[in-house]
Amino acid sequence: MPYRKYVLLVSVLVVSLLLLTLQIPGQAAWGPGEFVSWFTIPAQVLVTKAHRSALGLWSTYRSWQELRAENRALHTEAERLRVESLQAAEIREENSRLRRLLALKERLPLETLSGEVIGKEWGGWVRSLTVNRGRNDGVGRLTAVIVPGGLVGRVVTVRANAAVIQLLNDPASSVGAVVQRTRAQGLVEGAPGGGVRFKFLARASAGVQVGDLIVTSGVGGLFPRGLPVGRVSAVEDRVSGLFGYAGLAPVVDFSRVEEVLLLVSQSAADLGAHFASR
Amino acid sequence: MRLTLALMIFGGGIAQSSLAPVLQVGPVTPDIPLILTAFLGLRKGPEVGCLSGFATGLIQDVASGTFVGAQALTKALAGFGVGLLRGWFSVENPVVQVAGLVLLTLAEGILRFALLQLFHFPAEFAEMMLYVILPQALYNGFIGSAVTLALDWARARRSL
Repeated sequence: MPYRKYVLLVSVLVVSLLLLTLQIPGQAAWGPGEFVSWFTIPAQVLVTKAHRSALGLWSTYRSWQELRAENRALHTEAERLRVESLQAAEIREENSRLRRLLALKERLPLETLSGEVIGKEWGGWVRSLTVNRGRNDGVGRLTAVIVPGGLVGRVVTVRANAAVIQLLNDPASSVGAVVQRTRAQGLVEGAPGGGVRFKFLARASAGVQVGDLIVTSGVGGLFPRGLPVGRVSAVEDRVSGLFGYAGLAPVVDFSRVEEVLLLVSQSAADLGAHFASR
Repeated sequence: MRLTLALMIFGGGIAQSSLAPVLQVGPVTPDIPLILTAFLGLRKGPEVGCLSGFATGLIQDVASGTFVGAQALTKALAGFGVGLLRGWFSVENPVVQVAGLVLLTLAEGILRFALLQLFHFPAEFAEMMLYVILPQALYNGFIGSAVTLALDWARARRSL
């Protein structure tokens, strides 16, 4: 039917105009306007519900997207801040260590050289540190090495720009020492288990008590006198033996040493007064 | 096919009140039912264009709570007109589609304004033209071009 489309158009226009006409204000309460509303309101409710659902879904999706983006950004930010915080803590710690080392360097009445730990040997056979100072810096073999807490060990190998330090808890380490309180003489030796012990002549325990500070004796001229080594943690009273043994808690945590002072000159003075752990 | 068409028309009507606020740029929103009507009119002819314009316009009227029938009438005319014109132009040409959509929006806006004058619609024509009809026509053209490009791209992919 060639005119079908025009018939449709006219029908639609008539219906539209009819709808419009029925809504002219001033009609009676139950007039055509109400009649139209009777049809349109349910549709309006339906449309509004559909609209709200669609909008709600869309809003939820948008919120979810925003939250996800925000979450990702916050994660990145938190990660960055955590790294920065760790870096700041590290720098603060290093700063504190260097300050204490510098203060000690200035206090001591002998020439020192600061060094940075560049290597660690922590196996059972050998316990040593390598520092970035060597022959070219004037470091010699058997140079005493200290930190603000006390004695670390001695240089056993010197290279052009590095030196290997034998730690006090190395099984081959032996340092002449005294009980600071009683001046009882002995040797501080490294134990294979990683600890440090004080070996002394066992005449009635030589008056060694738990808590006593053991310092270098200066005998032999290798180490200056008075460098703190450790505190007595236990006394093994072997009456029948020639020697007595006392377990020591080292004043230095060897695993955490990162900067050291190398004593490149000698001093006959007792250095005990210069250490805080005295 | 008819169900798809019905769903498209209903969806288009709903989209105006749900999706259009999201697409709002300043005070301007696209007229999604009109874009859909033009799309259907161009592809399916004047009858489908007329019916879809009437249906989407009616949904818009009902949803907006204004004069029920006003947009149904103008959009039905727009859909019918576009459907009739499709034989006269190369409707596959995107330029024709976009320009046609802009002109169609302008024509529909003017017609709607004229119709609402019968009900003492208070706004000035110049203001309506400047702040509502013209910006919406341009926005519709933009959306229409985006849709056209997207459809072309999808068609090209399908033919690969």
